[in-house]
Amino acid sequence: MRMLTWLFGKKPKLTDQQNERLARWRALPAADIQQPMDASRYVVVDVETSGLNVNKDRLIAIGAIAICNGKIALADSLEIVLQQNRVSDKQNILIHGIGGTAQAEGVPPVDALLTFLEYVGSDPLIAFHVAFDQTMIGRAMREYLDFKLKHVWADLAYVAPALYPELARRNRSLDNWMEYFGITNYARHSALADAVATAELLLALGPKLQTRQATCFQGLRDMERERRRLTHPI
Amino acid sequence: MAAPNSLILATAEHLSRFAPFDSMTREHLTWMAERLKLGYYSKGEIVLSPEIGDIRNFFIIKQGEIHGEQDVVRAQDDATWLELHEGECFPLGALLSRRPVNSTYRAGVDTFCYELATDHFHELLHKCPAFHDFCTRRLANLLEQSKQVIQAQYTKSSSEQQSMTSPLSAIVRREPVACAPDTPMRQVLETMNSLGIGSMVAIDTQKRPLGIFTLHDVLSRVTLPNLDLNTPLSSVMSTNPVTLPPHALAYEAALVMAKHGFRHILVEENGKLIGLLSEKDLFTLQRVGLRQLSGIIRKADDLETLKHAAEDIRQLAHNMLAQGITAEQLTQIISTLNDLLTTRIIELELEADAAAREIDFCWLALGSEGRFEQTLNTDQDNGILFSVPDGKDAEALRGVMLPFAKRINQALAACGFPLCNGEVMASNPKWCLSLAEWKETFDKWIYHGAPMDLLHSTIFFDFRPLFGNRHLAENLREWLGEVTPKNTRFLHQLAVNALRNKPPLGIVRDFVTGDGHTIDLKLNGITPFVDAARIFSLANAVSATNTLQRLREAGEKLRMSAQDIDAYCDAFLFIQLLRLRLHHEQCQAGENLTNKVDPDTLNALDSRILREAFRQARKLQTKLALDYQV
Repeated sequence: MRMLTWLFGKKPKLTDQQNERLARWRALPAADIQQPMDASRYVVVDVETSGLNVNKDRLIAIGAIAICNGKIALADSLEIVLQQNRVSDKQNILIHGIGGTAQAEGVPPVDALLTFLEYVGSDPLIAFHVAFDQTMIGRAMREYLDFKLKHVWADLAYVAPALYPELARRNRSLDNWMEYFGITNYARHSALADAVATAELLLALGPKLQTRQATCFQGLRDMERERRRLTHPI
Repeated sequence: MAAPNSLILATAEHLSRFAPFDSMTREHLTWMAERLKLGYYSKGEIVLSPEIGDIRNFFIIKQGEIHGEQDVVRAQDDATWLELHEGECFPLGALLSRRPVNSTYRAGVDTFCYELATDHFHELLHKCPAFHDFCTRRLANLLEQSKQVIQAQYTKSSSEQQSMTSPLSAIVRREPVACAPDTPMRQVLETMNSLGIGSMVAIDTQKRPLGIFTLHDVLSRVTLPNLDLNTPLSSVMSTNPVTLPPHALAYEAALVMAKHGFRHILVEENGKLIGLLSEKDLFTLQRVGLRQLSGIIRKADDLETLKHAAEDIRQLAHNMLAQGITAEQLTQIISTLNDLLTTRIIELELEADAAAREIDFCWLALGSEGRFEQTLNTDQDNGILFSVPDGKDAEALRGVMLPFAKRINQALAACGFPLCNGEVMASNPKWCLSLAEWKETFDKWIYHGAPMDLLHSTIFFDFRPLFGNRHLAENLREWLGEVTPKNTRFLHQLAVNALRNKPPLGIVRDFVTGDGHTIDLKLNGITPFVDAARIFSLANAVSATNTLQRLREAGEKLRMSAQDIDAYCDAFLFIQLLRLRLHHEQCQAGENLTNKVDPDTLNALDSRILREAFRQARKLQTKLALDYQV
């Protein structure tokens, strides 16, 4: 049923003010992906959801942290819980730790998503396993803002093995790479904490990226493409 | 700014585990966390160097390790003189004085650092007193904090007032001797006699105290009335004894005793007897005075009195330690009192030995006693130096001195200074020598420099006169001051030997631990300072034997900076203090005294300072290695 209302149901209603915010964001110029890493801002994202099914499960929280000029800026971070009219099940809560009350008291989804867009601005996005984060955020954007998010992403799940092919076999998950680089996480499976760990991973990949002369966002994308071609030959 | 999110809170929380952030208010800590950037430095990467010029950031290590290298030209492993770890921050001096750094800071392993912009650093300095304090006082501040922690820990057994405010549970040691109320008096008195106790408590099967019978009652209730010894305890004892709960304070117990004229108070918890407090227990809490104690020693006319005085010296040392006295003062006080005690023992033996009285001699203190660095577990290291008048024979004089020395060694042993395992004692014919013989012995060591000679020189070259003709010892010292500076080969050998013993600083872990996950505070902590100070002094004809004095005097001659010398002294004293505290704790727990400490048992502050102190030891060793080309 939900799928049907989602496909054919009424369009979400945004207030004038919300429409204006969305329009303002859409008017922003596209990200400049040739800027060197130490002179630009990237946003690293992680999401928490009600499950792992990208078609059915709901977006519960977004965590994001900015890397400005090559350093992680602690205060330039976002941690936002989307208000849920249906609380996710217990097993799920145990994973991300966002309880029923917190879910019900979250930010109304429209505002949450607008806040996220405004926070990102036109800067490129980074995640570990982009497909999941991108799909979950994209679906929520369509559902609540009736808007198809097109933004540049880079996926560290491909960049890291591209830089360390000899480790690729043993290291697949974010946890694996964190362990390899000795990165700690103040609260695993909290969206913001995982985003910070992902950001730290990117910094730790820095020296290797430099030797490959991949010092701008385009360089990250090149690394990613190289790896994709290797693992999924056309 | 909006309410801090989980990252800011987690960052503040993480930092609050380390000084000075642990004493900053939440507000200031959050303010700082909101302004932090996180940077990454891969192993070997330079974080700061003198060439960079103006410093833009204040760094706090989130994880990893930063090494400071003093001299870029000699940037090799040995040039590392500073090792900074999680929670530590840098550079302070350069930021405070707004100048470039003197050292190169390099990531020792892959490292994440929090970075606070210089402007924010100065703003924080201005708004947060705890931070300001830390940055401007640094090591001094750390030491002060550590001292406060010690004082807080030991208040209960410190001075008279303080001890009187400790709870009875802290004073009562063992379970009281008790029996059933129907026990016949004969059995009660026999038990009291055999156990040497002053009282017997009657309890019921639930361990509730019913009454008490004390030695004082014997005369009036047993002997004079000619009591039948088959009478049960219950008809003789004082019933309804006064009890206090374990959390009552010592002075309350003293008040109750004073008010009712009791000598004993029962300690009761939940209706059960758990302890007995006597008037004597309260008296021993009172501090033994330094003046009083030295008076007792001076006037003592038998070994028994001196034995008690020796115990009192230890008790006094414990009390003073508890009051947060510095290691320097404490070791000096211990040395002074031990000197007095030894002097009195020698005087008493001299009175009984007419032959020894005829000889011109000097009793030498060696080793740690010679350096005025005795702690609570020091064994004997001593020797005799005598002069040989014309027409007399050294061997004959030794024949007189040896039995005399033997009695002194044994008396000292009776007073709690164990006999030396290595036989470094005046009663050993090898160490009971004439001036000429000592010079000959020292000369041999200096010119041969065999391993045993080097070992001996570390004990004997710290000699000082303790009793008798000081001029003999001064003569020997003067001669040594002329001989050693010239003999660079010997000094080099001493340096090589000293440098074998490295401070236990790890590259990966904080400390390198030996057997049983421990650090030997004496061998790895104290000895590097003592050895270096000795070598520098021998090379520069410094006659002092005390390590601090040697560092100060020789350091000046070697043109070390006053700041460096102070840092060495502070570091040495801190390790010494830790050692004294360790002994104190071991004493309280009735354990054997050792110098081995498990670094995990240290609080975060102490372990941080200890690391800093070891770094100072390493820096001093680096200097030694440079000077002697080791």
